Amino acid sequence: MAKTYDAGVKEYRETYWMPDYTPKDTDILACFKITPQDGVPREELAAAVAAESSTGTWTTVWTDLLTDLDYYKGRAYAIEDVPGDDTCFYAFIAYPIDLFEEGSVVNVMTSLVGNVFGFKALRALRLEDIRFPIAYVMTCNGPPQGIQQERDILNKYGRPMLGCTIKPKLGLSAKNYGRACYEGLRGGLDFTKDDENVNSQPFMRWRARFDFVMEAIHKAEAETGERKGHYLNVTAATSDEMMKRAEYAKEIGAPIIMHDYITGGWSANTQLAQWCQDNGMLLHIHRAMHAVLDRNPHHGIHFRVLTKILRLSGGDHLHSGTVVGKLEGDREATLGWIDIMRDSYVKEDRSRGIFFDQDWGAMPGVLPVASGGIHVWHMPALVNIFGDDSVLQFGGGTLGHPWGNAAGAAANRVAVEACVEARNMGRELEKEGKDILTAAAKHSPELAAAMETWKEIKFEFDTVDKIDVAHK
Amino acid sequence: MSRPEKYIGIDKDINGGMTSIGKIIRDAWVFELLDESETCEGWNLAGIDALLQKVNAEWDKYGCMVSLLPEPLATRHREIHARAIEKAKTAGWSGEHETGDEE
Repeated sequence: MAKTYDAGVKEYRETYWMPDYTPKDTDILACFKITPQDGVPREELAAAVAAESSTGTWTTVWTDLLTDLDYYKGRAYAIEDVPGDDTCFYAFIAYPIDLFEEGSVVNVMTSLVGNVFGFKALRALRLEDIRFPIAYVMTCNGPPQGIQQERDILNKYGRPMLGCTIKPKLGLSAKNYGRACYEGLRGGLDFTKDDENVNSQPFMRWRARFDFVMEAIHKAEAETGERKGHYLNVTAATSDEMMKRAEYAKEIGAPIIMHDYITGGWSANTQLAQWCQDNGMLLHIHRAMHAVLDRNPHHGIHFRVLTKILRLSGGDHLHSGTVVGKLEGDREATLGWIDIMRDSYVKEDRSRGIFFDQDWGAMPGVLPVASGGIHVWHMPALVNIFGDDSVLQFGGGTLGHPWGNAAGAAANRVAVEACVEARNMGRELEKEGKDILTAAAKHSPELAAAMETWKEIKFEFDTVDKIDVAHK
Repeated sequence: MSRPEKYIGIDKDINGGMTSIGKIIRDAWVFELLDESETCEGWNLAGIDALLQKVNAEWDKYGCMVSLLPEPLATRHREIHARAIEKAKTAGWSGEHETGDEE
């Protein structure tokens, strides 16, 4: 008998609330934190979010009969309390994998967060986590090179890599900018980085910057005998222009380029990552605008989701927050998304805000980049927290050295090597950090000066977005 | 607000002279490109830029590294910069300004 239906308004929960549903291994799972308007039942709202992020409309319409709604719909299958917060609850929703185009984080996010966030029955909504099934992961290109391949390309092993965002030393001339890069790289950094705001403005067009920076890299490599890199920012107004800049970076021998994946867009990022993989280029990812999406504990998209999106879309480095220092970042939550960046399998761990097991299969990992508001005194903690597979990026902590950029870089290089050596000898870095750095500074006037410069600084701001279990 | 065309002088600069231009001038003193009484007050940007190129050329002889400076340059560098840091601290500079909130 043909399907029939009654016209009119149907409650969501009749169709989309399925507490007996057992998610399939191939389902994409999502956890939303829902803050309802007064008087709206939880089950109805969870079902509404499932509907509005998949196939639903307020009314059952005739065209529903032209698609297999029961197959393609999202299913709200569980509800949980949020620890310590009665204003909201978690809703768990399963989506069939065939609802989404293969290899397209753009399509997944268009469905999951495209319209539902403006839904009137919600006071606020936050996408806390997504489980991508391995079947979907395998349709995505992922990081262009991955951690091991990056180490092999750069011939750098057994320690975190060091970076620094460059601010021009005098004015905004590309030549002086290149000089600042050279000083940092010569002093011991592995990478320097374009500021995310530097694209190709009239005061410094991209091609002149790329040329002077490459000259700096060649000079530093020749003098140190090490591979060096600078994240040449290819973020541009159009993806054609972005690709033009990437091609030029490759032509002049740059090993790594940079993209802002949120402001630049995920479609452009995926395109660039695939090109990088095809062309042997490393890709550094900056996350400008992320706090607009991830900072509010009740509304938006959690950074662990943005991390998963990036790993699938493609990038070899991603800014992760620092845990220590001036910038926002809950320690446990940060450790959670660092695992998401690097590990091949991440178990559900609510203490780190991870709601689902996540199997990445053989997809390479992404290096977390700890950047901003840090200096040499943070080095022992950073090495302890981030381990070797990371990039520690001291901007002001390099360029702010009273003796200049090269001295700042040398201080950080001596400090990281001292910490790694101490750790490898079994010493406890966070307990013995002061002794370790003080001993190293006896042989490095640059480090001694850096320790003297920053010795009295403490950062004691509390984080806004704490992990939910910490609210108890 | 119009941009000043002339440098104010290292002795009157912000952060007790712990600025990009201040560092260039102090290195110029170290390498004796300038007399230590020269504050560069009234210099224009081109003049400072030209001085920077000379300072860079001096640093290139030692791989940009303070620890590679020979005596007596190393002592001279240590003394000039120690005085500058002390002066900057007295003027309220702490190093915190440089570790801004950039990512």
